[in-house]
Amino acid sequence: MRSSTSNFKRKLRLPRLFFRKPPEIESIHGGPPLEYVRPIPQLPWRGITVAVVLIVIAAASAWELYCRSIGYGPTLHDNEDLWTSARRRVKPESIVIIGDSRGWYDLDLDELQKGLGKRPVQLAMAGSCAYPVLADLANDKNFHGIVICSVVPRLFIAPPGSPPMDHAEKAVRRCHTQTLAQRASQYLDMPLEEHVAFLKPEELTLDGLLKRLPIPNRPYALISPRLPPYFGTLDRERRARMIEKCARPGSELARMTQQIWLPLFTPPPPPSYIPQEEFAKSMGQAIEQRFHDVVAAVQKLRSRGGKIVFVRLPNSGGLKALEDRQTPRAAVWDRVIKDTAAPGIYYEDSPDLAGFNCPEWSHLSAGDSVEFSKRLIPHLRAALQM
Amino acid sequence: MLFNSLTFVVFFVVVVAAYWSISSWNARKNLLVVASYIFYGAWNPPFAALLFSTTAMDFWLGRQMSRAKGHHTRRAWLVASVCMNLSMLGFFKYGNFLLQNFQWLLARIGIIYRPPHLDILLPVGISFYTFHSLSYTLDIYRDVLKPTKSLRDFVLAVSFFPQLVAGPIVRAGDFLPQLVRPQPLREGQFLWGLLLMTLGLFEKVVLADTMLSGSADRIFSYAGPLIALDSWLGVMAFAGQIFFDFAGYSTCAIGAALCLGFHLKDNFRFPYAAIGFSDFWRRWHISLSTFLRDYLYIPLGGNQVRPVRAGTNLVIVMFLGGLWHGAAWTFVVWGLLHGSYLVVERVARGLFEHKEWANTVATRLLAWFATYAAVCIAWVFFRASDFTVAARMLGGMFGGHPHGDAILTTREMLQIALVTGGMILVHWSLRDTNIETAVMRAPPWIVTTAWAFMACAIILTQGNSNAFIYFQF
Repeated sequence: MRSSTSNFKRKLRLPRLFFRKPPEIESIHGGPPLEYVRPIPQLPWRGITVAVVLIVIAAASAWELYCRSIGYGPTLHDNEDLWTSARRRVKPESIVIIGDSRGWYDLDLDELQKGLGKRPVQLAMAGSCAYPVLADLANDKNFHGIVICSVVPRLFIAPPGSPPMDHAEKAVRRCHTQTLAQRASQYLDMPLEEHVAFLKPEELTLDGLLKRLPIPNRPYALISPRLPPYFGTLDRERRARMIEKCARPGSELARMTQQIWLPLFTPPPPPSYIPQEEFAKSMGQAIEQRFHDVVAAVQKLRSRGGKIVFVRLPNSGGLKALEDRQTPRAAVWDRVIKDTAAPGIYYEDSPDLAGFNCPEWSHLSAGDSVEFSKRLIPHLRAALQM
Repeated sequence: MLFNSLTFVVFFVVVVAAYWSISSWNARKNLLVVASYIFYGAWNPPFAALLFSTTAMDFWLGRQMSRAKGHHTRRAWLVASVCMNLSMLGFFKYGNFLLQNFQWLLARIGIIYRPPHLDILLPVGISFYTFHSLSYTLDIYRDVLKPTKSLRDFVLAVSFFPQLVAGPIVRAGDFLPQLVRPQPLREGQFLWGLLLMTLGLFEKVVLADTMLSGSADRIFSYAGPLIALDSWLGVMAFAGQIFFDFAGYSTCAIGAALCLGFHLKDNFRFPYAAIGFSDFWRRWHISLSTFLRDYLYIPLGGNQVRPVRAGTNLVIVMFLGGLWHGAAWTFVVWGLLHGSYLVVERVARGLFEHKEWANTVATRLLAWFATYAAVCIAWVFFRASDFTVAARMLGGMFGGHPHGDAILTTREMLQIALVTGGMILVHWSLRDTNIETAVMRAPPWIVTTAWAFMACAIILTQGNSNAFIYFQF
């Protein structure tokens, strides 16, 4: 039997062809003749292909029908490319909404356009911190418009490296580095997303489905809290609308979503490998730094004639109790307003804004968002001295 | 433009449809040049100009070299080509790395120097197309390739879009002959190409990105100590992820080329069934290992020199192979580890090869296991962002943190075990054959089911995946 070593030596030796000078007929390009042709398996390829196409179409159609039957509908994805397309619409004097998903769901662009005279550009992002976008606008030397900044305290003070910060930073980064291919992909993806219900990146992907398998875990496994299910739609202007199934008070979807917010809004336990005091100290420093950075960004924006108003939008039920307990008004909201000396609208301060109920505790229904926006306009005009 | 994007699907359909509807061979090649530059320019248009300029320079240098009479003049043209290519690569890829190390060295002798940080954007795939182009002048110098008279053909050989940004490294000498005359499509070639593209995408978006990358990322980014089980599973997840990511890209490239009538060689041959490290490198990233073998190892003397020199050559080659992957010392350590593995293997073979026990099944299995484990250990340096992370990972793997954290979920552990086990099983069962033979032997209904399954799984991932790892190289 040939030994491995001799085999190794044999393999390392170049084939004779490599050293052979090719004859003239092979030398149109001079190189070794075309010596490598990939083998092609001889199978009934046409029949196989037809069968595969039929199976895939049937499976995709069945999956689409099933997803629709359990309540899913088509909607655009809130990804960084869609955000980038909105960011590109910002003009020097635009009105821009930034912040979290409450800025998305609760503020109706039509009503704001009627009340403020301009159609705002929607740059709020679900589950994200407002600061990276605020800093991006503050650094944009052309921009001197109006910023309406939604504040959910836990997201607003999220430390660097946390998902809310990563999410927003990723979008801002994409805006400055988007390639032509990514832009083209966005234009090609949108018509599909607008018509196919099973295209839900967080929920109905293979990864999302695997994550929902009911498999017991080890006691200390790090498990990310579940994200809320599909409960709203998004259009090309990034306007979000809560679907009817969730907007019905007491509906199963609303109740399920309520229970998902609670772990999502509960801070994770401190890492076991850092002493608790040290961790608390570093978090405190990160929060202080955030206040400092926000003040700097607001000053920069104002120095060019820009304006900003912070808004605290409604929440309800158990989530409101949790937020009030963990991030009391004095700790974040009052501090932001005091440090930046910017106007602020806290929904609970005004009786006309305070009476709204969020069906899933965090966002207004589509109908209520219209009414809420109507009532918010006088407050915005006063705050912005319009 | 990523293979795993809708833009590429549309681009590919348009290019293939236009390509096969044109009858003129020259017009087809022109179309492929334009398509390849659109494919590349879609990342960053100015870099397409860079790609063209290096290609045109090598084309010109190749002609000058072939016209030169004396050996010294030929060598001078070769040196010019090597310097041009490597300086381009050096500036874009290693500029900041070299400055940082220069600063560190000066600091050692007490000189404080603060170099400006060069804000250099790395052109995607520069390491690959530099090697595509360099192989041309190297082969002309070695007198095994005559320069092509057509700049267009050479531009196409370097920039052919399926292999442009992440390999395989296709040598000009392998590709230019295919541009002489149109290659007829053989029976089943186009559909087999589509199946290979589906397989490649399945490897990338389902196996690498969906099943493994999340766990690998979580383990490597965890800042605390981990127990041995989680550490090993994280490294095994990365071992699988990088294979499926890179082999997936190569398989897509081979399939796309087949659909256009071109034949690219295999870049992977079931590497995790390798017994020994020389066997591993005959199976892993074959286009790079043969490039380094032919243009570096053999010119250094190969294994036709004294053993100590041959061992040193191996280490030098693997050191440079490591550096080729990225401008960081962790890649260098990865390369040096593989170099030292190869040296140890040579010594062990010299000592034990003829012993009877060396060829038993148990020994071969043990050797396979040792190879896989050692390759995994080397992957730690490849994946870790710095030596602190690498040290923490190795500490966990070798029992340094018995009371460390256990962070993986049961689902993640099952996914890693299932995919890694399946991968090793497939590699073992196909280690002495190839995918074509395996498919040929399978009944058509199995091929149909497997193809449909892969396509459905790709659709189910919804393009929710990352860029190919090798794009950064």
